Amino acid sequence: MPVSWIILLVLVLAATAYVLGRRRALEGANGDPRRLHSRPVYYGWNAALSALVPAVLMLVVTRLALGSSNLGALLVLAAAIAGVIFALSRTTPDFRARNMVEQVVKAGLILCSSVAIATTLGIILSLVFESAQFFRMYPWQDFLFGTEWTPAFGGGSKLGMLPLLWGTLYISLIALLVAVPIGLFAAIYMSEYAGPRVRAWVKPAIEILAGIPTIVYGLFALVTVGPLLRDWIAAPTGLGDSGSSVMTAGIVMGIMLIPFVSSLSDDIINAVPQSLRDGSLGLGSTPSETIRNVVLPAALPGIVGAILLAASRAIGETMIVVLGAGAMARISGNPFEAMTTITVKIVGQLTGDNDFASPETLVAFALGLTLFVITLALNIFALYIVRKYREQYE
Amino acid sequence: MNDMSIVERKLTQDEIKISARGVQVYYGDKHAIKDVNVDILDKTVTAFIGPSGCGKSTFLRCINRMNDTIDAARVDGKILLDGEDIYDKRVDPVQLRAKVGMVFQKPNPFPKSIYDNVAYGPRIHGLARTRGELDEIVEKSLRGAALWNEVKDRLQEAGTGLSGGQQQRLCIARAVATQPEVLLMDEPCSALDPIATSQVEELIDQLRQDFSVVIVTHSMQQAARVSQKTAFFHLGNLVEYGATDDIFTRPQDPRTESYISGRIG
Amino acid sequence: MTDTTSGVVPESAGEPAMKSLLIADARTRRRNAAETRFRAYGIIAIGLAIAALFWLLSTILADGSSAFRQTYATIPVSIDASVVDPKGNRNPEEMRKVLTLSYEKLLTTGLKDYIAKENLQIEGLSDRDLKGFLSDQAKANLRASVLNDPELIGQVVTVPALTSSRIDGYFKGRVTAEQAARDSKTSPAQLALADALKSRDVLETRFNMGFLTNADASETRPESAGLGVAILGSAYMMLIVLVLALPIGVAASIYLEEFAPKNRLTDVIEVNIANLAAVPSIVYGILGLAVFINFVGLPRSAPIVGGLVLTLMTLPTIIIATRAALKAVPPSIRDAALGVGASRMQTVFHHVLPLAMPGILTGTIIGLAHALGETAPLLLIGMVAFVQDYPDAPPAGLFDPASALPVQIYNWTRRADPAFFERAAGAIIVLLVFLLIMNLAAIWLRRRFERRW
Repeated sequence: MPVSWIILLVLVLAATAYVLGRRRALEGANGDPRRLHSRPVYYGWNAALSALVPAVLMLVVTRLALGSSNLGALLVLAAAIAGVIFALSRTTPDFRARNMVEQVVKAGLILCSSVAIATTLGIILSLVFESAQFFRMYPWQDFLFGTEWTPAFGGGSKLGMLPLLWGTLYISLIALLVAVPIGLFAAIYMSEYAGPRVRAWVKPAIEILAGIPTIVYGLFALVTVGPLLRDWIAAPTGLGDSGSSVMTAGIVMGIMLIPFVSSLSDDIINAVPQSLRDGSLGLGSTPSETIRNVVLPAALPGIVGAILLAASRAIGETMIVVLGAGAMARISGNPFEAMTTITVKIVGQLTGDNDFASPETLVAFALGLTLFVITLALNIFALYIVRKYREQYE
Repeated sequence: MNDMSIVERKLTQDEIKISARGVQVYYGDKHAIKDVNVDILDKTVTAFIGPSGCGKSTFLRCINRMNDTIDAARVDGKILLDGEDIYDKRVDPVQLRAKVGMVFQKPNPFPKSIYDNVAYGPRIHGLARTRGELDEIVEKSLRGAALWNEVKDRLQEAGTGLSGGQQQRLCIARAVATQPEVLLMDEPCSALDPIATSQVEELIDQLRQDFSVVIVTHSMQQAARVSQKTAFFHLGNLVEYGATDDIFTRPQDPRTESYISGRIG
Repeated sequence: MTDTTSGVVPESAGEPAMKSLLIADARTRRRNAAETRFRAYGIIAIGLAIAALFWLLSTILADGSSAFRQTYATIPVSIDASVVDPKGNRNPEEMRKVLTLSYEKLLTTGLKDYIAKENLQIEGLSDRDLKGFLSDQAKANLRASVLNDPELIGQVVTVPALTSSRIDGYFKGRVTAEQAARDSKTSPAQLALADALKSRDVLETRFNMGFLTNADASETRPESAGLGVAILGSAYMMLIVLVLALPIGVAASIYLEEFAPKNRLTDVIEVNIANLAAVPSIVYGILGLAVFINFVGLPRSAPIVGGLVLTLMTLPTIIIATRAALKAVPPSIRDAALGVGASRMQTVFHHVLPLAMPGILTGTIIGLAHALGETAPLLLIGMVAFVQDYPDAPPAGLFDPASALPVQIYNWTRRADPAFFERAAGAIIVLLVFLLIMNLAAIWLRRRFERRW
């Protein structure tokens, strides 16, 4: 019997149970709902849930144990019917049906909250499990400290992570050099100088940048910024001849991060109490002196947290570097050369036909694990700083 | 209501430091201060009293143009400081505020060390040529604020770590350090406990020797204790202005009398 | 912080007390200049940010708007029975054996006849040029319509036929005569023919519905590539995200905000959600690959996997927004309901949740918009595959291979023919229009139901 039929049957059973439970409760109270502990619908729901919950549990169990079989289907239906009979036998006017139903609903709510934990566990388990397989085939020292990345599907690959890490950090650094000054100054101007009318236009305009998908930035890097930098700066100065470069990806990623830095900084600057500004202005500071000497030092921990969050974004960003940075794994100081990042190589190793037994494919999971650990550490640290900062002014 | 209902009293001795003529303040559509005329004397503590929302704080903030920082506020009329109109176009509020210091309702030390809090004003205004001079100003100001003995061994500790009363005296020291001529205080004791309040009141009495002090307070007792002159504000009007003793013992306007006897406010 | 003010040794120190307020001293002038500079930095920063926005949007619009227009040739073509139905029995099975190549002959003949009829003199026009003039897709389309309607056989039909991407590019300014001379795939004679046909109104560049409805096309025929499968795939995934993420997210938020005891476990869940929101999206792709495809065994390239991955990715956003919305409902409302004897559960579902709904929906739409534009995780679960068949209707279609809008864009950027860049930029416009609609809906919701307590 296919699953859809079993589910349909169980639903019909539950609906019947609802009607029966409700009727039985009312009969027990001689048709007077005031003599019941709960409203009649709760008796109905209690009976229906008594059919559904055991049936679903049994369905999961039989699927795992027996696969798709008629015996399993029968067991499911039996569980549902047993549930209904049990519920109806308990349906008396004194039975606390509402409490029962609410208990089940609450259990459902808890189940939904645990999806978040399950997701984290899923991420960690899948990364760790597959990475462990990789490290059985490839020594971890060579992965972590190797300076050469030359995967060869015939065997004898060198899978050193350092060139990828270097590209990742270099691009992120350039992105932050673009985004932090622009985002921070924009936030300062908007929170300290701009009138409400300017703010009402400028703030949403900058936030549009945050709503644009990264693939759009990627295409922008590939088609517009890359060739522009190559033709006007890299080629004339002899620094490089590739449109894909650390600079291309860094600048475009920086643009993407501007709204991220500015809106976080804006929140943080606004959390600095007005009384500090008044105190400074009252002593005869100019507004800029007040900002530099009082507001920014007071907001510094929060701003550092915001920058760390932005850094974590930059490190985990994929599409911009896939389209803008290139695929050459190299360690070089020249920002107009193409380099590559951890995320680019994850995409590279995991798209197309994969052989999940070869280190060249599995290395992507080790890279994923590295990426996850770096960004998680940055996030936890940044969130901790920001939270501490907020508590200070609450 | 008669806007010109200030009861004229004979002014005693001293020279006039600040004189306000026909000051009007609007917050958007709200007429917050209505045609205030007042002369504030040098080396004197002047108290502004009145029920909350009467405009006393607003008027105080006009004297060092702190209202400039509020977009919706508009000030008409003249306020002369040593005969110069502070609302003249050529006046830079930054320079003005160096001359007219302000202490706020809630102690607001900067999240810096005690030393840096006090040195802040002298640094931005360039009052010290050398580190030694700066040290001297800091010590003098802290002594002036009766705080030196309590903090002299921990000048590098955070100003925010002090007690409420100490914080407020630190803010006074910070204001004094810029060597102002007028010191404005906006309910400086409202966030303090009684002991800290009495310390600050004592300090205000001492400050009178060097500055013209204007204090806004909603405590009539405090006004009576610390001030020589008192101005009573009501609904944006300056109702009565005169020697503190006279205001409290022989109020001439019925509104002043009602307020002092506790019927309004 | 370096500036003129923090120095301990100013030049104009001393006697500040006796100076007139009406004359700004040198130090004040310097400080005011610093103030002006500082403000200018702020304005420059905002200017740069907004300039970047306009630069980005204007290049995309400039590159992509031409994708919505396509060049068609409308020439009379006689459907020669001897070519398309060599046995002459109109048997559909037999006719199916006739390949597209034969239809190419029909179209080329039609083109040749037209040139002869109009007496067009075009130097160096070879048969090969004529063949390459029209798109391979035009031939396939003609075959499909003949198979569909055998009545057409023996008649002269005048259907708009797609021209090749080079001819189309010529009218869009992408291909020039000089390039054509150097390019083996285009000849100047073709372009001359195009000009001649254009002047006789046979060639027309008009709105290209196919861009929105067609499936993807192979490397050699960018002129017929469309977003149909990608839009459908994205729609399926958004459906899954909405159906799963909204109820689960709301349920989780209700538990955490209204019922959860303040203990370690709750703390762990909260920190966990905050961190999940910042996990790089590609990690979700790895999760999808490892769990849904390798472990559970769901098919690659299927919207169901994409939908599940995007659901997990969107959940933290929805939970954070929902909790904020629940928090904004004042406690007085809960107290009022509890006070008349409602249970906690009734209070939440009857009073708090309806009041929080606009905020929840706004957060959900914004989460969906994010999911719609997400590319990286979909690459890892095989949605880059070349898919030419439309997926079936849900639910079965959720397991069919499909593409997604952002992945289709990525796909086209990888192709060699520059005509695909125009398509990619055009697809971005489509994507941005969808995002704009979603965001406007969110703004409308927020305005419409904005409540002040």
